[in-house]
Amino acid sequence: MGSFNKAEQKAPILFLIITVVVTAVATMATVTFAMGDKPPATASKVSLSPMSAAEPTQPQVKTFAKVANPEIPPLAPLGPPPIPADNPMSDAKVALGKLLYFDPRLGGDASISCATCHEPEQGWSFAEGISRGYPGTVHWRGSQPVLNSAYYNKLFAAGSTPSLESQAPSAARGGVAGNGENDIMEARLRLIPDYVNRFNDVFGEPWPTINNAWKAIAAFERTLVQRDTPLDKYLLGDKTALDDQQLRGKTLYEGKARCILCHNGAFTTNEKYYNIGVPRATRWEEDGLAQVTFRFEQYAKGATEEMYRNIKDDAGLYYRNKNKWSMGKFRVPSLRYTKYTAPFMRQGQFYTLEEVIDFYDRGGFDEEGRTTSFPETKTPLVQKLGLSDEEKEDLLTFIEALSGDEILMDKPKLPPYKPLFTRAELQTAQAAK
Amino acid sequence: MVAIVTTRQCFLAVTLGVSLAIAGQVVAAPEIGPLPVLKVNEARAELGKRLFFDKRVSGDVGISCATCHEPENGYANKDALSKGYPGNKHFRNAPGLINAAHKKVWMHDGRIGTNLNDVTREMITEDYIMNMDMRIMQERFKQDPLYVEMFKAAGLGEPSNGGVRKAIPEYLKTLTSRGASFDKGTMSASAKRGMKIFKGKAGCVACHNGPVFTDGKAYNTGVKENFDVWLDPQRHQAFIAYAAFMGIKNYMNLKRDPGAHLQKHAADGSDMGKFITPSLRELKYTAPYMHNGTSKTLADVVAFYNRGGDNDRNKNARIKPLKLGKAEQKDLVAFLLALSGEPLTSSKHVWQEAYPAEYPVIANWLNVPN
Repeated sequence: MGSFNKAEQKAPILFLIITVVVTAVATMATVTFAMGDKPPATASKVSLSPMSAAEPTQPQVKTFAKVANPEIPPLAPLGPPPIPADNPMSDAKVALGKLLYFDPRLGGDASISCATCHEPEQGWSFAEGISRGYPGTVHWRGSQPVLNSAYYNKLFAAGSTPSLESQAPSAARGGVAGNGENDIMEARLRLIPDYVNRFNDVFGEPWPTINNAWKAIAAFERTLVQRDTPLDKYLLGDKTALDDQQLRGKTLYEGKARCILCHNGAFTTNEKYYNIGVPRATRWEEDGLAQVTFRFEQYAKGATEEMYRNIKDDAGLYYRNKNKWSMGKFRVPSLRYTKYTAPFMRQGQFYTLEEVIDFYDRGGFDEEGRTTSFPETKTPLVQKLGLSDEEKEDLLTFIEALSGDEILMDKPKLPPYKPLFTRAELQTAQAAK
Repeated sequence: MVAIVTTRQCFLAVTLGVSLAIAGQVVAAPEIGPLPVLKVNEARAELGKRLFFDKRVSGDVGISCATCHEPENGYANKDALSKGYPGNKHFRNAPGLINAAHKKVWMHDGRIGTNLNDVTREMITEDYIMNMDMRIMQERFKQDPLYVEMFKAAGLGEPSNGGVRKAIPEYLKTLTSRGASFDKGTMSASAKRGMKIFKGKAGCVACHNGPVFTDGKAYNTGVKENFDVWLDPQRHQAFIAYAAFMGIKNYMNLKRDPGAHLQKHAADGSDMGKFITPSLRELKYTAPYMHNGTSKTLADVVAFYNRGGDNDRNKNARIKPLKLGKAEQKDLVAFLLALSGEPLTSSKHVWQEAYPAEYPVIANWLNVPN
């Protein structure tokens, strides 16, 4: 297993390393570095069975010396979000997207909207470990916060989609999420005169089309950003924006606590995939409905028969590439706005940031000693930290400085349906049959 | 127009002397008569019965098959237009399901001509009907110990999509008309006169023939539109979704139900407004009538045909004013009612036990296979 910073190498350095060190597995390694941790050098058997509480042997890892590692993008003030060339912003589009975001008619039974599981009052997320899901179901992961999602290149917990434009339909159509079908959702939009006018104005189309609904929602989501956190202010030159305790926390974040290895750059994520040791959600052992969805997800995500029968945890990135070394890996999330987005981890395994810090301090174990179901892929980047209580407190205050004020929003008044034809028009058509 | 019939049916019709003068031409129709007995796998039908009344078959567990196909209404519904999935409504009348297993083609527009397995799939998965991702449904039923038992007893292994699609059609076989006075030979004098009119002057038998009283073909009979399809945006949205999905041209401006047009998409639109001949059995329970519920009573239906239907340029030439007198119309209604049997509302056909309010947790989940 290589040193932690290999994962952060920029391309030329990576190339050098590959040329010098790697021979037979060059291609594989390239992919590995781009994805996060590299696969185990030996073809060890990846178990699907639950992991015992015993701590896995940690590979020897270089001690992390100091912040000054040129390969790691430093913390930086957050700039404006990138705007894709094929979906430029406009006020009218954002206004339309806002309405659509809150409109339950973009869902199967017209009872839940994007906002139902991504509530402004709940950190633009959902304040339960596992999201509520479509009526009659429960989801199998926590809701991702929509605020600041404009900065991600990989949406969803396992990074399965590359843009907000493609994330929205996946959520609106998923069986345990929105469970809507394109045709009926599009038909609904066409029977709401205000939307017909707005789509015509924004997209120049005679009738709303569903793909443009996702574009409008994505444009609205790109306005949901927070760039004035204490950290942003500090980095922009206001040295009073962080107090001494927070500055001590920052030093820990960038050093002893190792956070910056993955939570780096302006958005505090390298968007790579790691298994950090989060234990299985206990809800699956206790809730029949959650067990229903757990199996459905294995089926829907293309697990093999053997895996479907035996797996007892969320295999994350594995469902996307079906490589055993991807078992239990998830995309690194941003730590911005986390003051408001509890609980944390993919199934809300931890309710507070204190618990999260303790988890890392133990080297990826919860307070009962539980860790990942996929120990073979656990990253060596996560190690026992040996933080004192005071240091944990310092780190917490700094992480809280990655959040500014809470951003709330009143739900807009939604435009009503109206019949497309009058009775007189229908009578005329009937007479002409 | 001469109805296409099989050689065997034709032979039978000729030997029995059933030839009728309709629109100036001779029509041979398969003889009306009692329904054949279908062999039923009891365990599978019992499973299908439980599924039929189970709301967990729909996406948001809001409706079951029986929500629109109610036993007390001949497995049809009193609403002119069906309820459909919560969040929208339907744009057609829910047909009665008694004798569905004896048909060769299903849906008012005849879009399914294979088997009830496909019909079951269509009803469960269609977004404006039950909107169910069957992969989720399958997992729901694996979480219900009684289903696990019943699927096994039915020889269907563990609960599965395929098993559901086999069990519900098996249950539908049990919904077969029994005890109609027509079948028992106990018709009233009025009904007997009505049968004569049915086969003769009124010409009903040209399309409504065979044991199920349908030739399984599509005709435009000039039924006027039910404007509620368009005046209620929740119905219109389902109609738009349907028409768009079926590839109907100009679907946003459509102010008529295209019906079986979706089968051949005639370029000149001459097949617009054709609908599959419905069965005439069990009409006692299944009012209102027509594909869009626009006829409230059987008297209305007879009056409709007596006036030669309503205006439609695509109307079939068979549909002409019948010149039936009041008494003849009454006799015809009496005959139609003689085609209804005993209601299928007892526990033999209706699942009456409560469904579990929750999915029981699988104990020791970590150590048993999924």
